[in-house]
Amino acid sequence: MIAGQKFSNSSFIDPKVLMSIRNLELRARVVVEGFWNGIHRSPYHGFSAEFTEYRQYTPDDDPRHLDWRVFARSDRYFIKKFEDETNLRCHLLTDQSRSMTYGSIGYTKAQYASTLAATLAYFLYLQGDAVGLLTFDEQIREYLPARHRTGHLRHLMLALEKPATGQATDIGAPLKRIVEIVRKRGLIIFISDFLAPLDRLDQNLSALAACGHEVLVLQVLDPAELNFAFKNPAMFQDVESGRLLFIDPGAARQEYLRKLEAHRAALRTSCQRLGISWQTLATDRPLELTLFDFLRERSERRNRGQHFSRPRHSQGRVFS
Amino acid sequence: MSFLAPLFLLGGLAVGLPILFHLIRRTTREQKVFSSLMFLSPSPPRLTRRSRIEHLLLLLLRCIVIGLLAFGFARPFLKQAMTAPLDSARKRILLLIDTSASMRRANLWPDARSKAETILRNIAPADQVALFTFDRQLKTLFTFDQWNAAPLGERAARLSQRLAEVSPGWGATQLGSALVQAAETLADAGGKKSAERGRIELITDLQEGSHLEQLQGYEWPKGVEVSINLLKPRGVSNASLQLVSDSEESDLKSSASIRIRVANGAGAKSEQFKVGWALPNQAAFAGKPLEVYVPAGQSRVLPLPVSSNGALDSVLLQGDDEPFDNMVFASPPEAVNLNVIYLGNDTEGDPKQALYFLRRAFQQTRHQAIRVTAHRPGELLPAGEVQSSSLFVIAAPLSNESVAALREQAIGGKTLLVMLGAPTIQPTLSRLLEVDGLRFEEVRPPTYAMLGEIDFRHPIFAPFSDSRFSDFTKIHFWRYCRLDSAGIPRARVLARFDSGDPAIIEVPFGAGRVLVLSSGWQPDSSQLALSSKFVPLMYAILENSGAAAPLPAQYHIGDVVSLGALVGTASPRTVRLPGGEPLALVHTATNFSRTDVPGVYTLVSDTSEKKFVVNLDPAESRITPVALDELDRLGVPAVRTIDTRGIQDQRRLRLQNRELESRQKLWRWFIAGTLAVLLIESWLAGRTARRVLTPAKALPT
Repeated sequence: MIAGQKFSNSSFIDPKVLMSIRNLELRARVVVEGFWNGIHRSPYHGFSAEFTEYRQYTPDDDPRHLDWRVFARSDRYFIKKFEDETNLRCHLLTDQSRSMTYGSIGYTKAQYASTLAATLAYFLYLQGDAVGLLTFDEQIREYLPARHRTGHLRHLMLALEKPATGQATDIGAPLKRIVEIVRKRGLIIFISDFLAPLDRLDQNLSALAACGHEVLVLQVLDPAELNFAFKNPAMFQDVESGRLLFIDPGAARQEYLRKLEAHRAALRTSCQRLGISWQTLATDRPLELTLFDFLRERSERRNRGQHFSRPRHSQGRVFS
Repeated sequence: MSFLAPLFLLGGLAVGLPILFHLIRRTTREQKVFSSLMFLSPSPPRLTRRSRIEHLLLLLLRCIVIGLLAFGFARPFLKQAMTAPLDSARKRILLLIDTSASMRRANLWPDARSKAETILRNIAPADQVALFTFDRQLKTLFTFDQWNAAPLGERAARLSQRLAEVSPGWGATQLGSALVQAAETLADAGGKKSAERGRIELITDLQEGSHLEQLQGYEWPKGVEVSINLLKPRGVSNASLQLVSDSEESDLKSSASIRIRVANGAGAKSEQFKVGWALPNQAAFAGKPLEVYVPAGQSRVLPLPVSSNGALDSVLLQGDDEPFDNMVFASPPEAVNLNVIYLGNDTEGDPKQALYFLRRAFQQTRHQAIRVTAHRPGELLPAGEVQSSSLFVIAAPLSNESVAALREQAIGGKTLLVMLGAPTIQPTLSRLLEVDGLRFEEVRPPTYAMLGEIDFRHPIFAPFSDSRFSDFTKIHFWRYCRLDSAGIPRARVLARFDSGDPAIIEVPFGAGRVLVLSSGWQPDSSQLALSSKFVPLMYAILENSGAAAPLPAQYHIGDVVSLGALVGTASPRTVRLPGGEPLALVHTATNFSRTDVPGVYTLVSDTSEKKFVVNLDPAESRITPVALDELDRLGVPAVRTIDTRGIQDQRRLRLQNRELESRQKLWRWFIAGTLAVLLIESWLAGRTARRVLTPAKALPT
């Protein structure tokens, strides 16, 4: 299947067209604007990343936090409870290893992932949520703490635009690091292709979940990786290690697909056990859909009212 | 188009290799970048389906390269009519055909003729051919001159006509001498133009008994080669029959049987044979044959009783494959009767006198019956007795008439032995020799005399010439008569005493001779009669006197029969051949040489008939073929030709082909073509590779 064809007739923006926009921020804005434009037709109304809580004033409370307007209306002291606390703190963990530089449909997984991260960041920023960024390959490359201030988004976009140079992927390291850095609960969106051994992922993810974070795992894969639709035998070079192998796709496809499925199943199992949302995204999938799914996911989660409830769907979904 | 090394064409099978390589999916240099190989394992190269052969033109070019290489290495050439050089070397071919008795075997002679015809068919027009046959001797049937003299179209026909007249005889095979003579003939015919090559086409069964000895030490002439056309007999078993010659001393009583030797061939399958007297001119037994068991490669000698009536003269063998040597002829032994006349005054049986010893010297043997008749000097000798005697011993003075009669006998070819036992014999001797005043005196040496000087070249003493027998010193002479040999004309002293006086004098007399022994042999004169030399000396004198020698038991085919030995002085008139037809002999003939058929021959003279048998040479029965290496060992440049057109022609053809090929050098063109196609192939392959690589680079990574 050639990527992008499936969605050519829909009202979504073709990722290929989107990727032709050089500026990452502009791309994010296009997606989000389009999203907002279409949202009024959406059945989901009145979303918010977080809600505000009022509580009765008790002595020792900081009078600065008194809501005078409520007092004016009701003549009672209510404290607007820590507005910054209630805002969503979102951290985007973006994989910038070499394997992400692969792309068979005109743009790479890294470009897609960056755009996705930028879109989410822009969206959350518009909502007034704090967005942080951590890029990594075999080690941590860039870290921007979650903030909501003018210019932060620009820094974030710049960090996302840095080219991927890492030789390998270490999924464990950024997770460990985020556990160390981020003390306050928040949303952690983990964007990677997860084409690396998953041996210690389970442990790190559980540490993250234990800290009370809400974790969303997004696996970005190229359509070619998903269906391995090569025809001619060739020397296949590993983009990370440079290793060469002679592969006859006709003969190797079955085994490849089987192993890939097993790998994804392992990832899915880990996520499900920890109640972590997990999605596989093909790079030819319109970004709006992802954004839409993201919001729906959060809405469902909020309706359920708990962080660690078991997800309704037992099967991982591939949005492709 | 022909090929010098056609086996290289098999290299063309390598065409399969490029096809196979094209069928194998290329382990291409094309590289694809992929995100991760963690789910991939290397896959082995595999064959594509046949319908997916790629780069057909390239494949075709590669196949052509291999094909051209194979053709080039096979060294092709175009057959043309062979021109000048080889044809100009005209050859002399000498057909040498075996006509010995062993060629009488079932299929050999027709085979030999067909081989000869084949050779004749295959000769070049410029070649010269001569036809020779051989058994014991080389026979010329058609010479090179006759070939050249004949009209061009008729030469081969005339030669084969001559060949058709020949058939194998009964002779032994003298292959060695035949080859030597043939080679000499060829070398002579070649003359000074040594460049002209000659070839002997030998057609023979090359049996074991071929007598190759003559080739030993013979330096084979250059430029003469021998092509051997070996004839393959059908049968392998052969047993032969041979008459064993009895010795002179054999027991008289045993003359009732003859001895027959039955030899069986090495590779024979049959081992049980029947031997017996055959009916005349038939291959059937006259009586009950003897059963004889002879293992292969061995022989048995068995006595065969002579038939009672004596009419049967051939012995037959049955039980083997080859009949040509299964009959042997044996005439019943016939003793020769000889007379020796002694003229003396001796008393019969007195051991002190000469006659006593003379009688005992001549014993009767199986083949010779010698009778010594003693007569008083005055007696009248019977005419028949005189006629049949060839030796006269004179030991006493004779009358004038007797001396005259004896002189006539001596002139007629007989021998008179005069023994000077006493001086009284002097007048007789003078008259006999017709010498007056012959000085004569008796000598009694103080001790004894002995023979000091002997002429061993003389036939009488020739048997003693060997140093083992030449010692006469044991013979002592007590007395002798001194004779002046110088006074006797034509006298030859055969032996002298140690004193120098002549002991034995020979005086030729017409056809005969007079021998004078200057001493007696009786014990009171000398020890001669008591010595071991006496008997051989007497026999030598008797044989030298022209008496008939004992008959050999048999002759072989081709042997020359001495007539004198058979009938003595009697002149034979005709010989009756085995078939019965008479053959007149010229009066002066002393030998008979037409013994070319086995059988019983009869020599008919005025007074008597003598039979002699001629048998096959026993060597002819040894029919196992000689290994061809044997000829090589003897220095004959033999070319093994199993088939007439076989190896020899093939070799020539190969030589021609090689020459043609080296002249045409077509392989160069093939190699040049290969290089050209390789160039095109390289260019095309390079272009194809570029085309394949270009889209690969376009892939985004």
